[in-house]
Amino acid sequence: MIQSVLDLQHVTKRFGATAAVDNATFEVARGEIVALLGPSGCGKTTTLRMIAGFEQPDEGRIFISGTDVARKAPYERNVGLVFQDYALFPHMSVAQNIAFGMKNRGVPRKEIGARIATVLEQVRLPGIEARRPAELSGGQQQRVALARALVTRPDIMLLDEPLSNLDAKLRLQLRHEIRAILSTFHCTSIIVTHDQEEAMGLADRIVLMNKGRIEQIDTPVGLYQRPQTLFAADFIGHANWIPGRLARRAADAGVVETKVGGIAVAPGAMADGPVTLCIRPERLALMAQDAPADTRLAAVVERLDPVGADLRIWSRLRDGTLVQSLEKNVGRDLPAPGADVTLGFRIADCIVLPAEGTAP
Amino acid sequence: MAMRRPALSAALLWPALVVMAPLLLGPLVLLAHESLKPFVGGRVGGDESGALTLQNYAQIADPQYVRYFLDTFRVGLLATALALVLGFPVAHFIARRAGPVMRRLLVGGLVGTLFLSIIVRVYAIAMTFGPHGPLADFSRIFGVTASSPDGAELMVVLGLLNSTLPLVALTLIGTLQNINPRLEDAAMSLGAPRWKTFFQVTVAMSLPGILSAAIIAYAFCISNLVVPMLVGRGFIVFVSNLIYFRFSEVANFPSGAALSMVMMVISVALFYGLLHLVRSHWQEAGK
Amino acid sequence: MKRLADAVFETVYWSLVTLFIAFSVIPVVVAVVLSFDARSYVGPFPPTQFSLRWYDRFLADSYYHDGLVTSLLLATGATAIATVIGALAAIGLHHARFKGKGLIQAALLSPLVIPNVVLGFGVLVFASRLGILDGMTRLLMGHVLITFPYVMRTTAASLVGIRASYHEAALSLGAGPWGALWQVTLPLARTGIIAGAVFGFVTSFDDVGVSLFLTDAFTFTLPVAILAQMRANLDLTIAALSVMFIVATVLIIVLLDRLAGLDAITGRGVYGR
Repeated sequence: MIQSVLDLQHVTKRFGATAAVDNATFEVARGEIVALLGPSGCGKTTTLRMIAGFEQPDEGRIFISGTDVARKAPYERNVGLVFQDYALFPHMSVAQNIAFGMKNRGVPRKEIGARIATVLEQVRLPGIEARRPAELSGGQQQRVALARALVTRPDIMLLDEPLSNLDAKLRLQLRHEIRAILSTFHCTSIIVTHDQEEAMGLADRIVLMNKGRIEQIDTPVGLYQRPQTLFAADFIGHANWIPGRLARRAADAGVVETKVGGIAVAPGAMADGPVTLCIRPERLALMAQDAPADTRLAAVVERLDPVGADLRIWSRLRDGTLVQSLEKNVGRDLPAPGADVTLGFRIADCIVLPAEGTAP
Repeated sequence: MAMRRPALSAALLWPALVVMAPLLLGPLVLLAHESLKPFVGGRVGGDESGALTLQNYAQIADPQYVRYFLDTFRVGLLATALALVLGFPVAHFIARRAGPVMRRLLVGGLVGTLFLSIIVRVYAIAMTFGPHGPLADFSRIFGVTASSPDGAELMVVLGLLNSTLPLVALTLIGTLQNINPRLEDAAMSLGAPRWKTFFQVTVAMSLPGILSAAIIAYAFCISNLVVPMLVGRGFIVFVSNLIYFRFSEVANFPSGAALSMVMMVISVALFYGLLHLVRSHWQEAGK
Repeated sequence: MKRLADAVFETVYWSLVTLFIAFSVIPVVVAVVLSFDARSYVGPFPPTQFSLRWYDRFLADSYYHDGLVTSLLLATGATAIATVIGALAAIGLHHARFKGKGLIQAALLSPLVIPNVVLGFGVLVFASRLGILDGMTRLLMGHVLITFPYVMRTTAASLVGIRASYHEAALSLGAGPWGALWQVTLPLARTGIIAGAVFGFVTSFDDVGVSLFLTDAFTFTLPVAILAQMRANLDLTIAALSVMFIVATVLIIVLLDRLAGLDAITGRGVYGR
């Protein structure tokens, strides 16, 4: 078994009566980029601060490269941290900022200058050693903060909401740049974010958190296609919800009775009883009356919203539920509002979720 | 880390505690003790052998003494009220209307006034408003002659005012800067005239700051020694002057110590009590 | 109607602003003019002839000279001690999270509230109980007591403006608590500490209430010397002295503005302009 760089075991942190982080367990392999994703207050920042050493877990253990660090001070861990506000020291130049960590971690003095120049080249900001943080743009500050953390060659990099202080366009551009920089260094990284797109675009794996608990750990694609809880399905992407009652007919075949009729499903390990069905808009298709589909639902079109190259079609099912489907806008004839249509989907595209959890 | 940081902050606190704790507690404990000793005429300090007594405190309840306290509180209140009336518009002007150069100049002037030796300031006021001064007629506006007891009171008020004005103005600049100027614009765009906007939005929202400034100014006034000493001419004597008199003229340490204890308790209670009241009231209102 | 009310309001507003400035400036001008008065008595204003006689007298007076030297030494010593312990205490309290923190803070700031006369009297009694009879030592005790809160208060105020992430960044980059303090927190709190030290120095230099109790026949501060002279004979030497004080104050303000910026005192506010 490959030894993981970071290993959290049953970590719990309470602030007063509430558990900010509740029994969190996950591992990060060498070179992997993992995103801690969740809404504000879900415990992702507290988890990051425990890994960095600013908070101590009440229960559980944290291993970095095999050593238990739960009781070690931040400066005794070899962890690189990029702060949300970058925290570049305003009274020091870029070079002094980058040298700070190397001096404190005992890098030989004569090496420091060369390493500053190299790392600035690697983050594509050569020659700005003498500048002050206040003279840099937000994106430049971000990259200097990355350089400052990377230059000490930490066991693990922690990035706290690295893009939240930048405007939308720059965010997209920097996302790719961060990804490129982190892979240049083969650096094991954890990125805390509340932005699902950011997590999807940056991470190899996502740890989805909610109310202090880990909801699901999966690859970005897996998390989208195989959500295991209502919260996971709701937090990532868009979804249509149909509540109902599952009755199993065979090993992996069943029917969910809903207000719009019985829907055939593959229930997996789900037990009989109340469930919620989740169908992604792009898997719900407008179809001709006689086209083949596992399930068909009659609906009336309400509104068509253009979304970039696509059209989002809002239709109402017979029981009044509003659903959305996504169609490519390729010049095909599309129904006008008020038209009767048939919406169809495959069994494989109908995700069966427990009825409890965060209501959509 | 959480186990180490308290150790460091404690380490940083120690030098201050080692120096300040004896300097604060030593004098106060000894003053409290001194205040309970019987006074024996002709010797410095209370009678060491005698039993402890409350007679020094009982003496303060005498109407003759109470008058000094009342004078202190009344004159202080006058100077504080005047400082608020004059200080608020200036603070408003500096925070809202003055350009950068004017602002720098005025803030510099305020800090300068605060920094200038109080003796010099009171001397300058005495020379300006005194019998030969260019503004000697100023007191006539209030129907008092400069040489009367009321004239002395006026001079003390002016002397205190000179110190409280910059204190109040500087505090209020801070307050006004933290009030969103857009709120004033909003009030005027909703049809409120300038004066109404000023009182119903600006002044109303500054109330916590105004009260804090008043408390700071008042604490300064009632503990003042120099102003009554220089321009009170014996007509206006503050408790501080009385304490100094007990020490310098009659060497009645026990009585001076009792006065000190009373004055200290009043000052501390007034300051922290009122400040706490202001803060808790506005924090609740803010919720 | 609204216009008229606003016109009245503006008139009152500007009158008050003018009154404030006049009241602050005129006495200073009067003192400066009087200091050049050639008459040997305090006569009606303005003076008819001008001379530098009061400056000569003041410069020739060793009494003032001794007081000035004592005051400078005392203010420098007290400020140095208060700045070191006050700045460290403010930083310690800023990071501390123990019970009773508020109480310790209030206690350390209490000399701002307790009347100076009480502090002076108390230190006198305390010093004589300890057998300290040396004037300078007694004065130093009293003046550390009154300058300390100024340094602590302004340092604390400047620490509030420093983001917590700077300190945490230093720790995550391998600096220990002392390294973070020395390399990051102290340099960032510099302006607050300087402003506090200047306030402390001025407070010490101008103090009367505490010093009156602690001076002796050989060690007296400049303000105490002036007070004694004023009660003895009210001549215009004091006016000449006042001008010296005014010049020194202006220099200190300029220095403060250069070193810390006057904004360190008022702050820029949330809606800074």
